[in-house]
Amino acid sequence: MVYSDRMISLKGVTKQYAKDSIALHDIHLTIEPGEFVSVVGQSGSGKTTLVKLLIAEERPTSGNVHVGGWDITDIHYRDIPLLRRQIGVIFQDFKLLPKKTIAENVAFALEVAGESVQRIRDVVPKVLDIVGLGHKTHRYPHQLSGGEQQRVVIARSLVHRPKILVADEPTGNLDTINKQEIIEILKKINSFGTTILLVTHDREVVNHLGKRVITLHNGKIIADEKEGKYRLV
Amino acid sequence: MVAFLRVFKFALQDIWRNISLSLMTILILVLMLLSVNMLLVIRVLTEEATNSVKDQIDVSVYFDHTATDKQIDEVKNYVRSFPEVTELTFLSREEVLQQFKDNYQYNPEILASLNELGDNPLGPTLVVKTREPSDYKKVIAALNVPEYEHIIEAKTFEDTEKAIERIHTITTQVERFTLILTALFAIIAFLIIFNTVRVAIYTQRVEISIKKLVGATNWFIRGPYVIESFLFSVFSVITTFLLMLASSRFLDPYIAVVFNRNAFLTNYFQSNIVFLLGCQFFAVLLLTVLTSSLAMRKYLRV
Repeated sequence: MVYSDRMISLKGVTKQYAKDSIALHDIHLTIEPGEFVSVVGQSGSGKTTLVKLLIAEERPTSGNVHVGGWDITDIHYRDIPLLRRQIGVIFQDFKLLPKKTIAENVAFALEVAGESVQRIRDVVPKVLDIVGLGHKTHRYPHQLSGGEQQRVVIARSLVHRPKILVADEPTGNLDTINKQEIIEILKKINSFGTTILLVTHDREVVNHLGKRVITLHNGKIIADEKEGKYRLV
Repeated sequence: MVAFLRVFKFALQDIWRNISLSLMTILILVLMLLSVNMLLVIRVLTEEATNSVKDQIDVSVYFDHTATDKQIDEVKNYVRSFPEVTELTFLSREEVLQQFKDNYQYNPEILASLNELGDNPLGPTLVVKTREPSDYKKVIAALNVPEYEHIIEAKTFEDTEKAIERIHTITTQVERFTLILTALFAIIAFLIIFNTVRVAIYTQRVEISIKKLVGATNWFIRGPYVIESFLFSVFSVITTFLLMLASSRFLDPYIAVVFNRNAFLTNYFQSNIVFLLGCQFFAVLLLTVLTSSLAMRKYLRV
């Protein structure tokens, strides 16, 4: 393991799926602890590949990837679960376990990490209260609205108190009110010191945030502005 | 220990919350095991049938009435020395005469002619039984030597040779047929179980990938499936065995009429319970665990 001070650091990262399919090309990117960064770009610009590299779902073809001070470029297969327990991940399609209640879904993230029963009993109701779902703990995902499901996902990603939260199109399936709620929750989490990487193509959300914006186009970073706006090529 | 208990809890939860799929998997396992057990019953009954037919075949060696005890003993010892010979019954002249009289007790003319002769004209008889019908030929050939020519009057083998050969051919064919049928059923059972487990895993592929994304290790994901396989194997083997015992009790009276043996199938299943249960349990467990591991491998690469 090689440690660095940066929260996320990509050096010369290229990801090539096939001979003529380059998802990311020579990416150099650093994100400091506590930053709120939006990554924007059209479909196929490489946003999702970037997320996959950060959670070790994919490996770079070349270059180096550091997350939370951990060099995950050639991360060993058995270390991947450890990495994922340190990064909170939110997906557009929620990815909740359909046959588990929402309390069980949140508890599952702790159970896989071997947390004690007592701690799980303490933590799960608290995080569900934080996202405003403390009264629906025994509901199943299909009994909740899209916004509520996304809040469960946020609760699940928070139980490990991650230093980084990666949100891949978290508002993609939500209406305006729910979208605003989710962004407010993310801002609140960021205010506690958690680094947020928000991947989105929602102009309204990005412009409202007024935070750092990285624009991807054809697998390359074409803009990186400290208080940026949404703009595409 | 906590992790194991959690894995066990997830397995029970999965079974209960996917109850229709769980019941379907158990049902298919039971049907497959029933097919294999039915074949086993057919094999056992065929074996019993061929054995009882073989048991009724023997070869009688009729000695000349002038043959001395020493000569007869020599032949007896010689025949007994063959490893193929399973039973040797010696009937003395008196016993042969009594048997003859019993056989013809309703035929006064034959009995009258016998009385007219005065002396017992019949020689002693040696009844030989071998393991396989094909072995008789070997024994008879060994007795067809010049030194026994004058003491052995006749052998019944020539009369029954064709029948024995035919029975031998039939039993060999039946054994071959049931063996092929068993192999065929085993392959079909394997393919159906393989496919059932694959479908069960396929329906849960999204859940498997989600578990990986929230940081579950492979064994934490595989564990519940292994325990589910174990529980499915236990349920299906026990259910099959109870069904087979019930069917045996129903069939036994009919079988008793044919083989003259009471509770034949029930006794067979009860006396082989450990072996049959053990073999079937481990075969199903191995198959389900291997299949689920293979089917899951693809979805664990997240």
